[in-house]
Amino acid sequence: MAFRQPSVLPGFGLTFGFTTFFLSAIVLIPLAALVLMAASMHWGEFVHVVLSPRALGSYRLSFGASVLAAGINLVFGFIIAWTLVRYEFPGRKLIDALIDMPFALPTAVSGIALTTVFAESGWIGRYLSLAGIHVAYTWIGVTVALTLIGMPFMVRTVQPALAEVQRDLEDAAETLGAGRLYVFRRIILPTVLPAMLTGFTLAFARAVGEYGSVIFIAGNLPMKTEITPLLIVIRLEEFDYRGAAALGVVMLVISFAVLLAINLLQTWGRRRLVATGR
Amino acid sequence: MSITLDQVTKRYQGVPVVNDVSLDIGDGEFFVLLGPSGSGKSTLLRAIAGLTGVDHGRIALHGRDVTHVAARKRGVGLVFQNYALFRHMSVADNIEFALRVRRMKASERRARRRELLRLVALEGMDQRLPAQLSGGQQQRVAVARALAHKPEVLLLDEPFGALDAKIREELRSTIRQVQRELGITTVLVTHDQQEAFALADRIGVMNLGRLLEMGRPDDLYARPTTRFVATFLGAANLLLVRQNSQGVSLGSDEAGSVAAGTAPVGREREVVAVLRPEEVELAPEQEQLTASYLAHGTVEQVLFGGALELMHVRLGNGSTPRVVRADDRGEAAFIEVTRTQHEQRLFPLTPGQSVAIGARRLHVLPTPLSSFLACGPSEALASAVSRHPLLTELAARMKTRVATRVEPALAAAQALDGDTPNVVGAAVIAAQPGAAKTTEWLLRHGAEEVLILPETCAPPQRVLIHWVDEHARRATLAVSASLLRHVTAEAVYVGILPEDAQVREGRPLGMRALLDARSEAQAVHGLQMRTELHFGDVADELARRLAESPGQLLILGVSDPAVLGERFAALINTTTWPLLVVYRPPDAVRRGGG
Amino acid sequence: MAGGPIQAVREELTTRPGGDALWALLTRWLLIALSLAFLAALLFAPLATVFATALEHGVKLYLATFNDADTRSAVRLTLLTAAVVVPLNTLFGLAASWCIAKFEFKGKSFLITLIDLPLAVSPVISGMVYVLLFGLQGWFGHFLQEHDISIIFALPGIIIATMFVTFPYVARELIPLMQQLGNDEEEAAMTMGAGAWMTFFRVTLPKVRWGLIYGVILCNARAMGEFGAVSVVSGHIRGLTNTMPLHIEILYNEYNFTGAFAVASLLTLLAVLTLIIKTLVERTGYKRR
Repeated sequence: MAFRQPSVLPGFGLTFGFTTFFLSAIVLIPLAALVLMAASMHWGEFVHVVLSPRALGSYRLSFGASVLAAGINLVFGFIIAWTLVRYEFPGRKLIDALIDMPFALPTAVSGIALTTVFAESGWIGRYLSLAGIHVAYTWIGVTVALTLIGMPFMVRTVQPALAEVQRDLEDAAETLGAGRLYVFRRIILPTVLPAMLTGFTLAFARAVGEYGSVIFIAGNLPMKTEITPLLIVIRLEEFDYRGAAALGVVMLVISFAVLLAINLLQTWGRRRLVATGR
Repeated sequence: MSITLDQVTKRYQGVPVVNDVSLDIGDGEFFVLLGPSGSGKSTLLRAIAGLTGVDHGRIALHGRDVTHVAARKRGVGLVFQNYALFRHMSVADNIEFALRVRRMKASERRARRRELLRLVALEGMDQRLPAQLSGGQQQRVAVARALAHKPEVLLLDEPFGALDAKIREELRSTIRQVQRELGITTVLVTHDQQEAFALADRIGVMNLGRLLEMGRPDDLYARPTTRFVATFLGAANLLLVRQNSQGVSLGSDEAGSVAAGTAPVGREREVVAVLRPEEVELAPEQEQLTASYLAHGTVEQVLFGGALELMHVRLGNGSTPRVVRADDRGEAAFIEVTRTQHEQRLFPLTPGQSVAIGARRLHVLPTPLSSFLACGPSEALASAVSRHPLLTELAARMKTRVATRVEPALAAAQALDGDTPNVVGAAVIAAQPGAAKTTEWLLRHGAEEVLILPETCAPPQRVLIHWVDEHARRATLAVSASLLRHVTAEAVYVGILPEDAQVREGRPLGMRALLDARSEAQAVHGLQMRTELHFGDVADELARRLAESPGQLLILGVSDPAVLGERFAALINTTTWPLLVVYRPPDAVRRGGG
Repeated sequence: MAGGPIQAVREELTTRPGGDALWALLTRWLLIALSLAFLAALLFAPLATVFATALEHGVKLYLATFNDADTRSAVRLTLLTAAVVVPLNTLFGLAASWCIAKFEFKGKSFLITLIDLPLAVSPVISGMVYVLLFGLQGWFGHFLQEHDISIIFALPGIIIATMFVTFPYVARELIPLMQQLGNDEEEAAMTMGAGAWMTFFRVTLPKVRWGLIYGVILCNARAMGEFGAVSVVSGHIRGLTNTMPLHIEILYNEYNFTGAFAVASLLTLLAVLTLIIKTLVERTGYKRR
């Protein structure tokens, strides 16, 4: 096959050229710089940076909290999507619109706001500290912040999948003898499972790299409450470009892997549930 | 009885979508619920399945009252129009679903699944996914799935609607075969009358939430009792003809009489008769007709239809019988005629030819309301009445016409000499002071029903029925039944006993009368109605009941017109609700149907 | 039945016989309560806090924040950045979507993946790559120093970093939209003699206008609110290279909560405005993928 198929419409040259130029300049070349910088290190040096105790501590926090946050979103995001799709109640439309707020809100704003709310003297923090739970400046705070920013991903991915579940199927299952719980387990959940997994992955991906929302609430103590992106920033400020690049490559590899997973999940989901078929 | 429905009503936002439906379906019977969209048939089916609740009435399956039982405990199998197969499960898992819920062992499930697949002719398809099957195959899987748990009743909701004609045929025979083999009581809902004819042991025809008629397909086709069923089950020409003790006279002087079933007793009246297109005979001259002569006409349209030829023949003007069609605009209408190839060869016809028309078989519908006659003392007033929205809507629904008649005598309500022509059809007048006198006048001059319409009134949601004495009972019920087929409203019979009767054994006596009324309404007229018992003066009680809420209509039966002036003058003269007065003199009580 | 009127479905469900009516009611209220509680703690409370804290010491102090020169320059810088970034990214979005939606060529999916990349990459990385390129020890570091051009720790760096983070938004709205709408109208216009630019402005743009607006307001919201990437490249020089989000950080770290939240309130109002426009656009019938 030739490079491109002929077409009536003009403008390929111009738009393709501009697009590739833009992407090269803004994306490819900078990323290449990153990879090359890391590649210029000796293997041993690379491993030393990437697996240093401080780095490992930051991975534990970043990835651990991200998984936990995505997991929490799995449950609550599903619940929220369910209520928005299936129930009618006053204010539903308003709340539906507000789900996208974490998308539109700058991360610094949510960062300081969450910290204030969950601090010892904060609106919610004060009650939690009575129960002995300290949110601000601990890994719990990090998880809370990551949950917030991942929430829209989960809800917006699960909502359309839930809306698509035909009521007929539930009715059919009921006439066949299934109770509400059985219907949920065997009919509804399997149908929305691909969407839930996709949402989980998206939320996870976003959480792992998150910076602004987290650094205010995290406390940033090395090995305890320091996230990987912060570690990278510290290295940069120390002008340890190579160290930063090494850690950056690690995060990049994770990003690519997650992107791949998302694509695969979406293809799997689509294949499983092809609509009315022949 | 396998399925029993007793006065089942389901309201949606106040409007009855299923209106007092009662029926009995026997073991192993294949029953088809037939009706146009919006007739409530699907809602009724879902109510039997338990997917929707009912506001009134009882549902029993195999003797067990399941009205408040959840769907999953009713032992029904339901097949949907869109198959509703579980997309993420294979055919085998779909079919075994009901068995898995009941925790059957895997080997038993497998055996049953194989058996069902054989039954619907889909052997070997166990591991396919629904997306890999054609529409017809998916529906077969749906049927097998619905039968897996050996339900007592199989319900099908327009199951072939989404399929091509050829596949539909195939599936029809599959269903029939399956049903015969299993002997399972089956209810199928459809709007396709061909399908109903092909499958049903009995058909129930529904419209506007009511079950109009039930019976074997051939009975319903040959002897419908309502306009709707006559025109829904096949093409029909509806004729307004006169019926007297000899039979039906077809209008013109030269016309003969056609025996048409029920032999009436009493004076001549206008009735609606059904003439099926295939029962029309066409010949060059009247003498060559073997059937009774109807009229002369001109061939207007000839359409080739394969085995049959479809024609429109426009009747000449003059004293020909009135043909009523849904889109009647007052001009001389046409009748539909179908002829076989044999008839075409005997007498080929082209558009423009004039022919003599004969009727081989006429079926008179026992409906008492044949047409409406709007009356007023002046041209303007009479035509104003004829354009009343409620009246025009009723006429449209009943597929009948509204004629107008100017009767100056109405203004003065004087008695006229005897050579005024009789009032034909149901008279309609406007509500005003003096309406009672006018009504009495009309009743004495030939009208059997008078509809009094206030200037503005809402479409009725409840119809109150009352007869002043027993002689008017039958006629009132017949008229009420007819009216209620075309109006989405509840029917309530209001029984009223004198005040002091309450003190004596009035109550049980009154209740007895109510029960009798209700069972007669149901058995003889096919009318489902509620009953209430009040004590007091009849006119006052009725007025009070009417004033309780808007959107009501009162049907009042009398056997003596004088009674209207004596007792109901106030009620009639000041009415703000539509009022239908039904009158039958006592000697007419022996006549059937009414 | 999937398309039946919602009211009728709800009516049927609530009247369905069987004892689960009570359970269904309980479950319903429980789930609604859980959802609201979750959202209240994580979303509503922080939003409310922004305004509550900003106005804690009165409106006067709130307004005083904006009289401060550093705050003013932060606002100016943010606006300037957005004014440069958004049009450029829109241009890119239009070009990329035209290229991808209307033509078939090898490597299309690679291109699409590249476009999606910034969304999967941490903002810190997004900023870091430019430091590696243009920083003192970066590839072009010496070259830039010799020619006295500053990119990092100056406006150009901020602009480029912001561009990296926000360029996908317009493209991601337009690509599926254009693919969905197809080429028929453009081809018809061409066969009728319209030139390329005319076709673009008269046929394509009107077709995609709602998706375009949607993408642009999202792009703008992110451009003004970007923190991580800008933080890495900006150098945090007060009055010079601080955008609003960075300024918030500075004020917060100085315990000037009123100030920090006052600036935050502006950005929050922008977010609210973005959501409102988004809702209005969706009302016009525009559905995202």
